[in-house]
Amino acid sequence: MAETIDGRALARSIDEQTKAEVEALVAAGHNRPGLTVILVGDDPASDVYVRHKVKACDRVGMRSTEHRLPASTTQEELLALIDRVNASEHVHGILVQVPLPGHIDERAVIDAIDPAKDVDGFHPVNVGRLSTGTGGIWPCTPHGCIKLLQSVEPDLEGLDALVIGRSNIVGKPVAMMLTALGCTVTIAHSKTRDLPAKARQADIIVAATGIPEMVKGDWVKEGAIVIDVGITRIEGKDGEDKLVGDVAFDEVQHARAVTPVPGGVGPMTIAMLLVNTVQAAKALSG
Amino acid sequence: MADIIDGRAIARQLDEKTKAQVDELVAAGHSAPGLTVILVGEDPASEVYVRRKIKACEKVGIRSTEHRLPADTSQEDLLALIDQLNKDEDVHGILCQVPLPDHIDTRLVLRSISPEKDVDGFHPVNVGRLSTGTGGIVPCTPLGVMMLLKSVIPDLTGKDVVVIGKSNIVGKPVANLLLDAEATVTVTHIYTEGLPEICRQADVIVAAAGAPELVKGHWVKDGAVIIDVGITRKEGEDGKTKLVGDVKFDEVQHAKAVTPVPGGVGPMTIACLLANTVQAARNLMGYGNAERGDDYADAPDRSMHTTA
Repeated sequence: MAETIDGRALARSIDEQTKAEVEALVAAGHNRPGLTVILVGDDPASDVYVRHKVKACDRVGMRSTEHRLPASTTQEELLALIDRVNASEHVHGILVQVPLPGHIDERAVIDAIDPAKDVDGFHPVNVGRLSTGTGGIWPCTPHGCIKLLQSVEPDLEGLDALVIGRSNIVGKPVAMMLTALGCTVTIAHSKTRDLPAKARQADIIVAATGIPEMVKGDWVKEGAIVIDVGITRIEGKDGEDKLVGDVAFDEVQHARAVTPVPGGVGPMTIAMLLVNTVQAAKALSG
Repeated sequence: MADIIDGRAIARQLDEKTKAQVDELVAAGHSAPGLTVILVGEDPASEVYVRRKIKACEKVGIRSTEHRLPADTSQEDLLALIDQLNKDEDVHGILCQVPLPDHIDTRLVLRSISPEKDVDGFHPVNVGRLSTGTGGIVPCTPLGVMMLLKSVIPDLTGKDVVVIGKSNIVGKPVANLLLDAEATVTVTHIYTEGLPEICRQADVIVAAAGAPELVKGHWVKDGAVIIDVGITRKEGEDGKTKLVGDVKFDEVQHAKAVTPVPGGVGPMTIACLLANTVQAARNLMGYGNAERGDDYADAPDRSMHTTA
């Protein structure tokens, strides 16, 4: 049986560390690290995400501020708010929940966030720094994937990694991180030929396509490590809804380790957001 | 015999296109695009590069300015000059020749160039834009590699490409461009195990390791296309020094096509610098290129759903 990588437990232990760092900063006389979340409109999924993030801040002793703006907010108003929080000494992390309403230019908004406070790691400066290995803030989900991998195999140097999916928020950044850690990385996507054969050669598979149970048992070589970023609600055989990942979990039990869905990558994303906020607070406090 | 990809000829074609764009801007009443090159100190190799770049500008009608500063120039003075050039409306491209003297923080200097005028494409904002496929200025050598490749394989969709080397100036940006071109990309490097086998599976090999004649004949499958970015001076059997690339050129004649060294990637770099300068000028003059798509959604990747 493959080891099931427990994302919830790892996220908890990271949260404990984060909490200790928060208290250390406060004890040293610094402002308590603070995260500002901006939500425009009332997308129900975004609402849930934001609530989770705010609750997580409480858990580790961080201040959090929510700005809930109506869907009719103009881009100008939103940019003015970002300007204000960029300048605020009490705000160390700024997160604008996407998707934004159609009349707002998402890129202009992300570009307006101070890179030093961009705890999502989506600002071009942070993407550039990740790519060139010159610091910056790493995006949360891919960073969470790396932590999960390293919990099984601390030394990734020389391993062959296959990243399936090339999105800006998961596929590409996770590939950059794996390259930086010494993996030989192949990035596959919808136009890739012979994907099963390529997967079979990989020591590490990171599946981030959003296609339920796409990675089958015979795609995975014995002893590989599989990180499943996908999460899709499908109807199970019993007629009840269930959450599945991009990997046919039951078929890959000959792997060395695999992340479950739910309870794998998901919990890590928020834990890494908190890590990023403390990191930003430290950098901003000198 | 493999086709030899003639970098000099392709660079000349690009220069002609660039010249036509310059003439068009001038005809529309704009000033000619302007490139400013900054050289600090007297590194002889840098001198040669700078001279070549200036000469190339003349060829296509780009105005060029040279700032030659003594080796003991302070970082402050250099930053002040860049600041002034950033604000100068007649300057569309700024290039600070590296290496800089040791007392100057190269990264800080490159970061202080306005991303809109960063025709080398090294500013973190341009690196980030390249990575996310959201526009920006693409660094010259990787851009040249793509043009050479596309002269042989216009459509790279689904091709298996191996990039050897993960440098910030070639390997990583080339990988991003290949991914944008719908290729399946493997980035290999010094820690890679079984590189010959990995290469044998590739439809395209981009060798950018700086290791002379690293890629042997049996690393290359029949019909592959090889782009050789390396250039190293070494002593030949006759005792004379010669320039060699990262590929054992004579051994890979079963390939479909291969770039020679010299005369392959090299000539493309300056041609792309000129093209970038004109692009920067056009953007600054308000002729901006079509924006590429956003992809910041807080959702898993859906790229696998798109159909060919």
